[in-house]
Amino acid sequence: MATLNILVGHAEGKVPVTILRIEGDIDASTHKTLQDKAAEVVEAGSKHVLLDLGGVNYMGSAGFRALHAISNMLHADEPPGMLRSTRLKLLNPTDAVARVIKTLGFDVYLDIYKDQDAAVNSF
Amino acid sequence: MSADRESDLTVTASLDKLQEVRSYIDRTGALLGVNEQALGDLRLAVDEAVTNVILYGYGNAGGNIEIDMHGDGDAVVIRIRDRARAFRPDHVNAPQLDTALKDRPFGGMGIFLIKEMTDAADYLQRPGGGNELRLVKRGAIAADR
Repeated sequence: MATLNILVGHAEGKVPVTILRIEGDIDASTHKTLQDKAAEVVEAGSKHVLLDLGGVNYMGSAGFRALHAISNMLHADEPPGMLRSTRLKLLNPTDAVARVIKTLGFDVYLDIYKDQDAAVNSF
Repeated sequence: MSADRESDLTVTASLDKLQEVRSYIDRTGALLGVNEQALGDLRLAVDEAVTNVILYGYGNAGGNIEIDMHGDGDAVVIRIRDRARAFRPDHVNAPQLDTALKDRPFGGMGIFLIKEMTDAADYLQRPGGGNELRLVKRGAIAADR
């Protein structure tokens, strides 16, 4: 069975940013682990979340449902119609994962960074 | 049976088998000489299809899923067979990719990915009950093999 490890880190840019460093495959058996961890940090007060996908070799539609849910949690107080997330961003997806992000059109909503400092300072 | 047909995989319909299914695609794909990008596409398409069989076909109540994968010229053909209730992936609505994320309904992404990642995804009802999904990916195997 696939396992997903998530390390929680923090960085200070213009605003405090919570970094979730994810390692493992995100499929229908593991996506809830990511969603639950994100819910935990959002409930604890995180308003800006950076997902480090550098350790994710596989992400299927379940992973994207989790991204969708996390984005909705972070933007719960905003009216519909928001096109680009200012509160959820992605760091370092592998080529395979980046292709799926593009295929599903998530690159239209979520900024993708290669450099952690640039990502943190973009919030 | 074609000469380069690899052995089949049978798994119980449980989400904790998904990694085993992806490993089977990787392992068999390597034996067939499938290029890396096509292999990534097939891993995704099969994972999505098997997830649907587990959750919607069998309703997360168990059963068996049989998978086989073989080369046909430069193409790879994968069959995913079950004895679950009829579930037609082509009857699921496509996701609304042009809608703001917050306004998008959940769902439909798996089927969309299966279609995007393959050249053909043909659904058949099996005699005696169950479903068969036949996935074809062309240009997946180098011609000089």
